[in-house]
Formats: sequence, C-alpha cells, structure tokens
Amino acid sequence: MNLLSVGISHHTAPLEIRERVWFSADEIRVALAKLRAESDAEVVLFSTCNRTELYAFSPGESVPDSERLRMFLLTEKRATDIPETAFKTRKGMEAVTHLFEVASGVDSLVIGDVQILAQVKEGLALAREADAAGFFLTRLFQAALHTGRRARSETRIGEGAVSVSYAAVELAEKIFERLAEKRALVLGAGEMAQLTAKHLRAREIGELLIVNRTRERSEALAAQVKGTAAAYEDLASHLRSVDILISSISVEGYVLTADQLREINRKRDGALFIIDIGVPRNIDPAVRDLENVFLYDLDNLNGLVHENEQKRVNEIPRVQRIIEEELREFGSWFNGLHATPTIAALTDLVENIRKTEVEHNINRFDPRDRELVDLLTRRIVKKILHTPIVNLKNGTGESRSERLSKISALRKLFGIDHEKDARHDG
Amino acid sequence: MGVFIDIVNVVLPAAYAVVVWTYGKAFFGDLPWAKAVKSHMLQSALALHFLFLVVRTIEFNHPPVTTIFEILTVLAFCVALAYWIIEIRSHSTETGYFILNIAFFFQFVSSIFIRDLLEVPEILQSSFFGLHVTSALLGYSAITISAVYGFLYLMLYHRIKASKFGVIYEKLPNLETLERMSYTGFKMAFLFLGLAILVGFLWLPQTFLEVSYIDPKLVGTIVLWLLYGAGILAKRVGDWRGRRVMILSVCGFWITIFSMSIVNIWFTGFHSFY
Repeated sequence: MNLLSVGISHHTAPLEIRERVWFSADEIRVALAKLRAESDAEVVLFSTCNRTELYAFSPGESVPDSERLRMFLLTEKRATDIPETAFKTRKGMEAVTHLFEVASGVDSLVIGDVQILAQVKEGLALAREADAAGFFLTRLFQAALHTGRRARSETRIGEGAVSVSYAAVELAEKIFERLAEKRALVLGAGEMAQLTAKHLRAREIGELLIVNRTRERSEALAAQVKGTAAAYEDLASHLRSVDILISSISVEGYVLTADQLREINRKRDGALFIIDIGVPRNIDPAVRDLENVFLYDLDNLNGLVHENEQKRVNEIPRVQRIIEEELREFGSWFNGLHATPTIAALTDLVENIRKTEVEHNINRFDPRDRELVDLLTRRIVKKILHTPIVNLKNGTGESRSERLSKISALRKLFGIDHEKDARHDG
Repeated sequence: MGVFIDIVNVVLPAAYAVVVWTYGKAFFGDLPWAKAVKSHMLQSALALHFLFLVVRTIEFNHPPVTTIFEILTVLAFCVALAYWIIEIRSHSTETGYFILNIAFFFQFVSSIFIRDLLEVPEILQSSFFGLHVTSALLGYSAITISAVYGFLYLMLYHRIKASKFGVIYEKLPNLETLERMSYTGFKMAFLFLGLAILVGFLWLPQTFLEVSYIDPKLVGTIVLWLLYGAGILAKRVGDWRGRRVMILSVCGFWITIFSMSIVNIWFTGFHSFY
C-alpha cells in the first residue's frame, strides 16, 4: 500500500511550533493544487489547533517521498527551521490505523474531542473539491469518518464535559429541566465567565444578565452573548429572580454571604445554582448548607472534569476494538481492490448504458427483431469488455502498484471514482 | 384455570425479578442488550399479569380486591403499568429499576400469602365498592410512584450538593423533572384518596347498619389524605419546595405502609371482610 502520512501533533511538538504549520482552508486549497501539479499522487491535508497532517497515496510504483512532503509543508508555511523531529511519518497500514485513531478521538489532546471528526471531514471535502482525493483516499477517509461516528455512538468516548466552563453548564442541566425558561446572571467579565456565558447562550438560556462594576465591560460582554447589561448596584434585587449565578470578579471579601442569601432565598422560588470561579472566592462557602442552593467552585468543577476525563480514558479499549474491526474491513476492501469491485462497477456502468439505449430505441425496430437487438447489443458489450476484464483479472507479472495504477486509471476514465457504498457516505 | 392461576402466581414475581434485574443491568452496567430488551420484558410481564388478573376474576367470580394480598397484586400491576405509561410519555427509561423494584416487592408478598376465595360477601359486589377500591388503589399507586421519584430526587440532590458524581448523577433525569414527576404523583394521591374516602362515606350508611367512623383503616386513610393535602398547601402558599416536599412524599409512603400493616395486623373493624 503506497500510503504515507506526514504530520505534526501535540505528541511531537509544542503549541508554538504547531501553530506555525497551521493551514487555513484557503491555504489548504493552494497547497493541494500545488501538490497535484507536481505528481499524480492523491493527497488530503487537514489542520487543527493540535495537528497538521498530510496523507498521500501513490497509485504508481513508489511510495510518496516523506522528506519532500515534509519540506513542502514547511516551505509553504515559511517555517523551514522547524526540526525533522517535530514530524512523524507513517506508512501503509500504520498510517491507516493512525487516521482511524485520529477520527475516533483517541489520539486527541482531549480524549474523545468532538471537533476532530468535523475537521477530518472538512479535510476530505477540500481534497475532493480540489480533485486531489481519488478513489483510494476518498474510501480511506470515509472509512475513518465511519469509524469515528461508530466510536461516538457505540461508546462513551465523547461523553461528559471536559472543560470547566462546559462542566458548569452540564451541572446546570442536571438541576433544571429547561434552561430556556431560566435566568442566569454573570457577575464579572473574566475569560471563564465569558466562556460559561457563551455555553449557556448556546444551550438557549432564557435570559442572560451581565453585571460588572465597569458598565462598559458588562455592555461589551452582553453584546457578545446576546445578554442584558445590568447595574452592579441592583445585584441584590436580581438575585431574587435568577436561577443561575456565575461569579468571577476580583474582590476582597465575599460578594454574597450565607446570611444575605438566606434572606434572599425566602423571597425566591426554585433552586439557585451558583458557580463561583472567582479567585479569591466571591461567595461564602457556608451558602452550600442552604436548602435548594447548589454552590460550585473551581475545585468542584475541576473534580467533575477530571472524572469525565478518566471515564473517557476507560472507554479507549472499546474504541480500539471498533478500530480493529474497521481496519479489517478496510484491509479486505483494499485486498479485493485489484479486480472484483472495479470489474463489477464497470460491467454495471456499461450494461446500464446499453439497457437505456435499447429501451429508448427499441420501438424503431420491427417487433420480430427486438429480441435480436437485445441479444446483439449484449454481445457487443460483452466483446468490448472482454479484453479489459481479462487484463484486470490476470495481471500476471505485474506489481501490485501497477495493478492499482491500472485500476485507478480505469476508474477515472469511466467516471467510477465515486464510492457507491452508501454506508461510508460522509 | 386453577392450575394456570397457581403457575402464574409463582411465575409473576420471577418475571418481575427478571425485569428489575434487566433494568438494573441497563442502568448500572450500561449493557446494550439490557437497554434493548428491558421495555419488551416489562410489556410481557404486564401482559401476563393482566391475564392473571382477568383469569382470577373469572375463576373466583369477583375482582381481586377483597383481601390485602389480592389488593397487593393489583397494586403491583398498577405501579408497573403507571411506570410503563410514564416511560412511553417521557421517553425516559432510567427510573424503571427503582419503581419496578416496588412492583416486584408487592407481587412477591402477594404471591406468598394470596388465597383462593370462591365466595364473596354480597356487600363487595356493589358498584360503589368497585369505585371505592379502584380510587384507593390508584391513590396508593400514586403514593408509591411519588415516593420513588421523591427518593431519587433526594439521592441526586445530595450527590450534586456533595459534588459526588457517578452513575446516579449521570443516568437520572434532572432534579426539576424528578420533582415534577413526584409532585404529580403527590397530587394524584390526594385526589384519588379523597375520592376513595368520599365514595366510602356515601356507601357506608347504605351497606352497614351500625357504622363506626373511628374504623382504624378509615382514620388512617383520612390522616394520610390530610397529610398530602397539607403538603400541597405548603407548596402552593408556603415556601415549601424541592427537598422538603420530596421528604414529605417519601415519608407519606412509609406512613402508608406502616399504618396499613399495623391496621391489618392489629386492628379489626368493618373494613375486615374475611
């Protein structure tokens, strides 16, 4: 299998190096066009914040040159000073296995990362758009996407929040039935508060109030998250009607004491979920003892994130089993590539043309001759296809690459490059 | 039919045990096969149970509501049926393990002690009696379901409060959903127990010449009904919500079990017919 992958990832290089070889969608289009102009190899390139990977498949004699591809990536990004050790090269089934692991999220920095599947899919789409992915890489990437989807649906590799801000929203959903009917108040405009507010907005929180001591900052964040800026002085009155409070301001002493909240709680209805991500803490920890009040600080949220990460790690063996199954499937497809599927596709294609033409024109013939027309056209088609089919079947003396090259050319000539297997449609 | 009744009487608790075990495997073990078959198994158990109740009614010529152990098998059926309806309507199958445990327990006790009664006093053939018992059974089923959801609420409440995450946290519906389901059961319990009491009061003077209104079962049920009424009032006009109402719901269930056991074992009154 003349497959090669050259890539840089969080396993091989720190962020300051990875970000230098990050390709935007437009840069990928340009790079793919150049690569296609240079050789007949199929190529797919995708780039995320944690990895940039180039896959190349040559239908000809030789495996694509890894050094040339690595230098190509570096030259494109004007980063030729990045050492070779920052890259990892994989060949044949090792590259296939790696791609399946990437798509399944087990190779991600955050295990079970949900973004990677979309990024792999986008990489394939860009390559197909640039006519850089032929039948082999299309099939390979579709198989990888299928593996990734199976991993997510058949295991719990992608379940549970693995960021503090998302964990806060997940907790809110464990308390409240419909966030769309709830009001949240974000106190402060720090990064964590912003992220949590954005997650709440993404989950369609009913109302989002932003309170900050600096009015301009609260208005800026309110505009970002489609919230409403409110005055800091009105905090106490707002607390009577909100269901979720996210507090992250820098202040000496507590913004809210247990006694204050006890008083407020008498006039409230329903539970109050408080996320205190301020350092030092903004909310009196004694609030935790109040009925129907749920207080979470950074340590609590980190504990939840850590538990979720561990659960995802525990799912890796199940994902690996799926990967093994899909590798076997892909391997058997590849082994049968030299003849059977292509012959079947070619025969179907030509037979369909014959059938359509005969049906369209059959009325022009005398009824007594119609059967003969059908027989005659069948014979013509059979004779035309005879030699190519025999040559495909009996590739004696040919190398595997020659045969693949021949099949590749034939599929391209007859326009049967696109996979018909709906199961792998991405 | 007698042989059929005897066999199903043994098979039913076993069937519920298997259903509960499967729901448990799906909840705690996250096993795909258990998730796939659990609802079908519940439906099969319910169908068998329904057949059992029908055959028993035909064979003994009266509905199985004349002794506490007959009532327990109907109660088990009502609880399992109510859960099945909740499962279909809410698309949530995660609370089945907890509720169906109660159905299993009721059926298990019933199967051990139930007797075959061929002759039923005339007073139990009244249509008022049917309405009275049906209302009471629906009330007790509602009490049971409300208590189980209340119990699940309290478990999840304490886990979230204590930042203890695990299978309970992951699998159970959110607190508001559990509270809503429990409170719906709570209101239904008040409604049906009230109806049972009302029908009972209308039926009593027509049936018994000498009626004692301090019958232990009657007093116990009225006290229970008042307790549920007080809970609804506290939630509607007082500041009771969440945890407190759920505690009341769980307590209501245990008071029901306790008072009914005490009344049936230690006291006699016009409610004892056999």
